[in-house]
Amino acid sequence: MGSFLRNRKFREIVFQAFVLSAVAALLVAMVMSTRASLEAQSLTTGFGFLERSTGWDFSFSVLPYSISDTYKKTMLIGILNTLLLGFLGIFLATLVGILVGLVRTSKNTLFAMLGTVYVETFRNVPLILQALFWYSVVAHLPKPRAAISLADTVFLSGRGVYFPVLNIAIWSVAIMLILFIAWLFFLPWLRNKMNYSASFYAIKKVGWVLLPIIFIAIGYFARIPETPLVDMPALKGLNFRGGMRMPPELSALVIAIALYGGAYIGEVVRAGLMSVPKGQIEAGFVNGLKSRHIFTRIRLPLAIRAVLPSLTNQYVQLMKATTIGLVVGFSDFFMIISTSINQSGQTLELLAILMGGFLLINLSVAFVMNSINNKIAIKGYEVKS
Amino acid sequence: MSATSIQAPPPKGFFTRLRESLFSTPVDCVVTLLCAIFFATIIYKIVDWAFLSSIWTAEDEPLCRDASGACWSVIDARHRIIFFGLFPFEEHWRSTLACIVMIATIVLSCVPWFWSAIKLSALWVLGFGVFYILMHGGVFGLSVITPERWGGLALTIFIFAAVSIFGMPLSILLALGRRSELPVIAKLFGLFIDFFRSLPLLTILFTAAIITPFILPGWLQGDKLYRVIAGFAIFFACYQAENIRAGLQAIPSGQDEAGLTLGLNYWQRITRIQLPQAFRNSLPAIVNQFVITFKETSIVTIVGFFEILASGAAAYGTGKWTVHYIEVYVFIGVIYFLFVFSLSRYGAYLEKKLRVGHG
Amino acid sequence: MIRNSIRLIPTALTSCLLGLSFASTAAFAGNGDTLKAVQDRGSLLCSGHNGSFPPFVQVTDDNKWSGYDIDYCRAMAVAIFGTDEKLKVVPISWAQRFPSLQSGDVDIIIKATGWTMGRDTELGIQFSRPYFVGATQIMMPKELGSTAAETLEGGSLCANAGTSTERLAANFFKSAGIEIEMITFEKSEETREAYFAGRCDSLVGWGPNLAVTRQSAENPDDHVMMDTALALEPESAAMRQGDDNWVDIANWMFAATWIAEANGITSANVDEMKANPADSTVEKLLGVSPGIGERLGLSDDWAYNVIKQVGNSAEIFDRNIGDGSVYKLERGLNALWSDGGVIVPMILD
Repeated sequence: MGSFLRNRKFREIVFQAFVLSAVAALLVAMVMSTRASLEAQSLTTGFGFLERSTGWDFSFSVLPYSISDTYKKTMLIGILNTLLLGFLGIFLATLVGILVGLVRTSKNTLFAMLGTVYVETFRNVPLILQALFWYSVVAHLPKPRAAISLADTVFLSGRGVYFPVLNIAIWSVAIMLILFIAWLFFLPWLRNKMNYSASFYAIKKVGWVLLPIIFIAIGYFARIPETPLVDMPALKGLNFRGGMRMPPELSALVIAIALYGGAYIGEVVRAGLMSVPKGQIEAGFVNGLKSRHIFTRIRLPLAIRAVLPSLTNQYVQLMKATTIGLVVGFSDFFMIISTSINQSGQTLELLAILMGGFLLINLSVAFVMNSINNKIAIKGYEVKS
Repeated sequence: MSATSIQAPPPKGFFTRLRESLFSTPVDCVVTLLCAIFFATIIYKIVDWAFLSSIWTAEDEPLCRDASGACWSVIDARHRIIFFGLFPFEEHWRSTLACIVMIATIVLSCVPWFWSAIKLSALWVLGFGVFYILMHGGVFGLSVITPERWGGLALTIFIFAAVSIFGMPLSILLALGRRSELPVIAKLFGLFIDFFRSLPLLTILFTAAIITPFILPGWLQGDKLYRVIAGFAIFFACYQAENIRAGLQAIPSGQDEAGLTLGLNYWQRITRIQLPQAFRNSLPAIVNQFVITFKETSIVTIVGFFEILASGAAAYGTGKWTVHYIEVYVFIGVIYFLFVFSLSRYGAYLEKKLRVGHG
Repeated sequence: MIRNSIRLIPTALTSCLLGLSFASTAAFAGNGDTLKAVQDRGSLLCSGHNGSFPPFVQVTDDNKWSGYDIDYCRAMAVAIFGTDEKLKVVPISWAQRFPSLQSGDVDIIIKATGWTMGRDTELGIQFSRPYFVGATQIMMPKELGSTAAETLEGGSLCANAGTSTERLAANFFKSAGIEIEMITFEKSEETREAYFAGRCDSLVGWGPNLAVTRQSAENPDDHVMMDTALALEPESAAMRQGDDNWVDIANWMFAATWIAEANGITSANVDEMKANPADSTVEKLLGVSPGIGERLGLSDDWAYNVIKQVGNSAEIFDRNIGDGSVYKLERGLNALWSDGGVIVPMILD
């Protein structure tokens, strides 16, 4: 027995088993304690409420909805709203970030300073405050009658941004998207299969020409009958009819996330651009590439590969930042959950759904970004930011 | 813009450098000119709005309707709410002093002389203790003021300081736990850290504020403020732990082995060899995390605290001042900017200095 | 490494102890006697706000809570302790009202909370009698010359899109046979600006919010409320379920301010009234003859203290919402029934 105790391996196993069981005991105790306090409050538990209708209204939804929809559907709308906000915000933040990164690495000091001032201003004020600021700006845009018009197709007004949409059924858009993604995945597979032969490039060319034709065909068949193909927003009376409307809450948040995230991503991009070894660029010069090509073919691809891990991190952060939608009244996932808690009282269940939802969203973002990274990474070449 | 010089340029005079960086090509001249015009316009607009055409005192509020600039009357009349929230009027000196002490603590901990575990801990425990005594009272003849009356800038600083002081030791523990050689321990800590890192802070604060009372037994609950701070500190620690872990991983294994041959035990090797180097390695990342944390304190307003953002909302939230919310938000933005900007500049300075140190 | 394991033993032990402690049933705030818990604690935890919601909750220039709801919080504290020094106003957000009550962070919510069936039955909370009736009202310029609904025949009305007020207004004018043009806006600020810019002849909204809107007008006196309210939302205090005495205390605290008003007792003349009570109701209310305190587990002079320190319902309204405040809102339905309102005091016997 004594020799057993002196055996290091044995002691380690016993210790780990002990810790593991302590953690398990803790979790069990928490569940029991929760159950006891719920009983003391005579609160009902379970996910039965998901099937009940909500009876309350919220500001924005990507799907058609009514106040008699179930909690389940309302949760789904919340997740979709958050995804929409996140993707719009991240997409624009990336564009802003690349621009800022370029400006900051400019040789013209005054021009570079423009980037520095931008980054320092937007990075050093909390996102919540920026969202509130943009919201008040967006909400004070002129009334629909005096809306700012961009080429008579897009209108900016205090009631939202109006832009034209195609009058086609929603399923056809999904089909187009799936086709497009499948094509993108098919190409590299085919390339490896055909080993970069000339016929591969021929197929690639034909495919890129065929794709839009197929899309137009699908769009034509999926037209909603008896409507014009393009639904233009037009001023009718006091407000716009037709077209698609982006409410001020969403616009304000997208602007805030794009500008705030853009400042962070700008720094990441700058670090990436600066990490590109000079030798690579000089090699481009020697080979007689134009400076435009040196940028698009050498600097940018190398920079993007170098910063993808940091970029992934920023994307996950921005996705999490969407939860502040609550302060300007945008019905994102968090706000839907928060309202549900207030209306149904199913606090524990709803927070479990909230956590599960965000774990899923963030893990998916990280998974997609990491797969891209693994695909294009150059081993041993990475910067931290 | 994309062209890069091939050999290191010889030293040049100030004007030569200026000409080269601003007016080297015709395109550059145009860009410089446009930038100059842009900067001038922006600066003029801001100065005009904030200083030239603005109204300054509370008594002049009636003039605000016709003024084209800012109406700082709201700040003049209501700044005490922004700074102190609901802290009793007569005791504001305590809140002011407490904030000064805490800011001094933060500034002092940026001085390299304090950079040892003992000195830093002593400084923070002392600073935090003085802050707490000043705010809470109950000793030295100070009247007791309970946390639900704390507010404004003081509460923001308190949350930041409390999260730092409890989060830092926890982050070291988490980082060491995740690097444990025992697989179960390392996995458990890894799971814990990854779980908290993948959730939005707001979710964690929300849980801490309204769920923990269901989970924890009565005697462990405490005030909502402390529950939220605990949740925030765990969140902070999980991020900081990853920074420290990155620093630990960068230490060459020879260092630890050298310690072993010298006969140092585990704790000696951790505290004398590993942690000091890990901190040095990831100091910029650690400071950056503090910067982010300071900004994120603004989120606690959503779980119902009277920190600076909420007290700002209260400052303009009366019949008289409700139209002047822009001025209040600008004022709060400037306060945040002062704190966050100086911290982040300090982080950038450290990064530069350390990079030079590494050669 | 054994040393690796040693350093983790304290952690493991604490977590184990922690686990054991859970096994003992959670001492949960709420089940049981709230009054006793409040008295033992020596403070009443009442709901505040993270920011302000004028005229119900706001902060004065010298950093104190004020407002209609806060005054009733004070009255509750005075009823229990004889002084409002023991009131603790806990800042909470809208979304956290009910969870905070369930978790014991507050003892009572007096925060413009509407009494709905869902909240009453599913949230595990119980409501007091309504202490405020929030009317959906219509504001119009004084220069129209009348406050009757017919004045608006052929005119226009600004409303917030998608709200219940919009629906209510549409129904109201339809059933009244009055032709009106509805103009809806997404944001209340915008609706307000449209009204002040003269785009519409009237503005519909929730009464107290309208009052604040009126206050932000260039000249608040130029705007009046239409004499008919469209719909009402009863605002009640919310408490945890299963503590009847606590709900009784809240109900009778409200009733005391109403009975005082009905009998002409104010904070100014309460001492005089106590010295020479006019009738037996006043006697009982002010604790001259015993009974009012004991039956609730309070002292007999609790109602006297409330009236002395906080005032009767007319004073509370006037100070925060009515002529004594900057909002100058008509009392309307929140007056006693004898003055044309809907407030009916219970009978003190």
